[in-house]
Amino acid sequence: MSERILVAMSGGVDSSVAAALLAEQGHELVGVTLHLWDAAGEQKIGRCCAPEDREDARITCDHLGIPHYVLDEREAFRTHVIEPFLDAYQAGTTPLPCAHCNRTVKLVQLAALAERFGATRVATGHYARTQEGRLLRGVDQGKDQSYFLFGVPRDVLEKMVFPLGGMNKDEAREHGRRLGVPNADKPDSQELCFVPDGDVGGFVERERGGRRPGHVVTPDGERLASHEGVEAFTVGQRRGLGLGGGEPRYVLRILGDDVVVGGADALMTQHLVARDVHWLADGFARAEGSNEPFDAAVRIRHRHPPAAARVVPTATGFEAHFAAPQRAITPGQAAVVYRGDEVLGGGFIQ
Amino acid sequence: MIYLDHHAATPLSAAARAAMETVADVAWANPSSAHGAGRRSRAVLEDARRAVAEAVGARPADLVFTSGGTEACQLAIDGLRPTRVALGPFEHPAVRAAAEASGVPILSSDAALEPGTLVALQWVNHETGATSAVTTMAEACRESGAMLFVDATQALGRIPVDVGALGATAVAFASHKIGGPSGAGALHVERGRALRPTMPGGGQERGRRGGSPSVLALAGFGAAARALPERLAQMSRVARWRDRIETLLVARGGRVNGAEGERVASATNVSIPGWRAAVLVAALDLEGVMISAGAACSSGVDAPSPVITALYPDDLERAASAIRVSFGPEGLDDDAIEAAAGIFERVLQRT
Repeated sequence: MSERILVAMSGGVDSSVAAALLAEQGHELVGVTLHLWDAAGEQKIGRCCAPEDREDARITCDHLGIPHYVLDEREAFRTHVIEPFLDAYQAGTTPLPCAHCNRTVKLVQLAALAERFGATRVATGHYARTQEGRLLRGVDQGKDQSYFLFGVPRDVLEKMVFPLGGMNKDEAREHGRRLGVPNADKPDSQELCFVPDGDVGGFVERERGGRRPGHVVTPDGERLASHEGVEAFTVGQRRGLGLGGGEPRYVLRILGDDVVVGGADALMTQHLVARDVHWLADGFARAEGSNEPFDAAVRIRHRHPPAAARVVPTATGFEAHFAAPQRAITPGQAAVVYRGDEVLGGGFIQ
Repeated sequence: MIYLDHHAATPLSAAARAAMETVADVAWANPSSAHGAGRRSRAVLEDARRAVAEAVGARPADLVFTSGGTEACQLAIDGLRPTRVALGPFEHPAVRAAAEASGVPILSSDAALEPGTLVALQWVNHETGATSAVTTMAEACRESGAMLFVDATQALGRIPVDVGALGATAVAFASHKIGGPSGAGALHVERGRALRPTMPGGGQERGRRGGSPSVLALAGFGAAARALPERLAQMSRVARWRDRIETLLVARGGRVNGAEGERVASATNVSIPGWRAAVLVAALDLEGVMISAGAACSSGVDAPSPVITALYPDDLERAASAIRVSFGPEGLDDDAIEAAAGIFERVLQRT
């Protein structure tokens, strides 16, 4: 049955193909681009921020013959995504802004707009699937974006349509070419939409007017080198430590201004604590904190294959005890709990 | 489709369309050319100038044709060579930006008047339709030796305009607010007043505006200007339509902006509680009703209206939720207004 669907248009291939597929099915589409950020150096191509991307979104909507609106969400994006992102980096963690954006700005705003626009559902180009209100992994294991969606409120999730969830990237591009999508061969963006050049340290410095310099230290506190700012480091990182040759050493954790480094084996840990937890699946959503421990698979970063773990819900979130040690469990990233293809919920690693 | 954005642009009137069709095979030629084709194009151009001049009570020679309202405003502020510009509080961005770009000090319009100062005051506000006391200001400027530029782009076609009676130094007009095509406008400059061209070009328009004019668009402008008496005669109908929609919006909690004093019949500006203006504009567009959230030029980012922000600086919510619904004789009738009213009712229920 044809219905009015709001489709989020980022200007990239995925959302364009998603829209083209829904248009082909005969739905009445409303294209919406959220203007989230004005990228520094406007000529750089970011995912949803550069003017060219808004222009690409408009061109695609014109091609599909659907209306297109650009709506300004810069203030909400700064408040709910950028400021916490900067805080997190300066506190020595590695934030996951896409997950925060989806649950506090992007999908939530799109769902609210859909209601105002008389649209029954909201479509995006995410590689994920929904089934009767449950969130499932995208079929393309390499592209699967369910990791970024665990925090989306259930009532929003129930409205979502992910036309690409059942296909891989090559199929999506093929559909794009078949349907004449103008930007079907545009390269994928790999970087955060608000840091299109990938220089997170430089971004934090520009926004916060400085970095937090300190020392690279051993777990015993021995100073090995100085560094220009904790923002440049993330757990598991090997390059850029300024330590010269010898045994490869990795960032183990960031404590204040100190970047603690150690050997590869010290990166392997078996336990994490998650807070700010959001349960999606039935049976978890309501009884949060009072659930019995259960066995599941936990993903600790994008593209990490979910690893078997015992999940113990607690009053403040959950703990995960992995069956085997995991490399570089990183505070600020999400721990997302899967059972098979289904996302049960998730939280942020402490 | 019900078009209620006549302050952004009016639909092309039948008179303008007919005139443009008639001259299309002549108006392509360069009116400065010395040959027959040029002369025929020149005749069309000068006929349009006579038509606009007559419509605004001007001498044809005192009208400089431009590409539209923005250029006319720019030409006035640049070309009159003021030493200071005093801006009205609610000026259109075209005027404000021209003043800022001119590099001379900017004052508010209640600053002391003195020779060399150019007061820029719009006659009718683009967002609310509120009228300014331009005649009083013109007198004050004459007495003090200051210059007055009146942006009359939203006044023409909505209230009678007579530049002779007004007595301003310069007055700007735009074709696409009176049923003519966009791309045509005019600046009236009082006789004997020197005007330095912004674009000297080939010395066209008696050296006041270079570049080959769009004779086709200006012919449409002229025809629309000739139809101004009929247009003004319809303003009571237009006012009725405006009141119908305004009453509906007020009944749903809307607050009318800028209606404290006199205003023209063609627009209402209302803040709708619980709606961001850009969202309501889009929601109505999806149902076939076309309105705006402010000046159409500043699209892309839905920044709150500067006019409404200036009117109610202590209530920013009011600007963020302000829509402009504007009306005119083209393409509307009672049935269309009733249909629009029904759509407004339906969309506003989605809260």
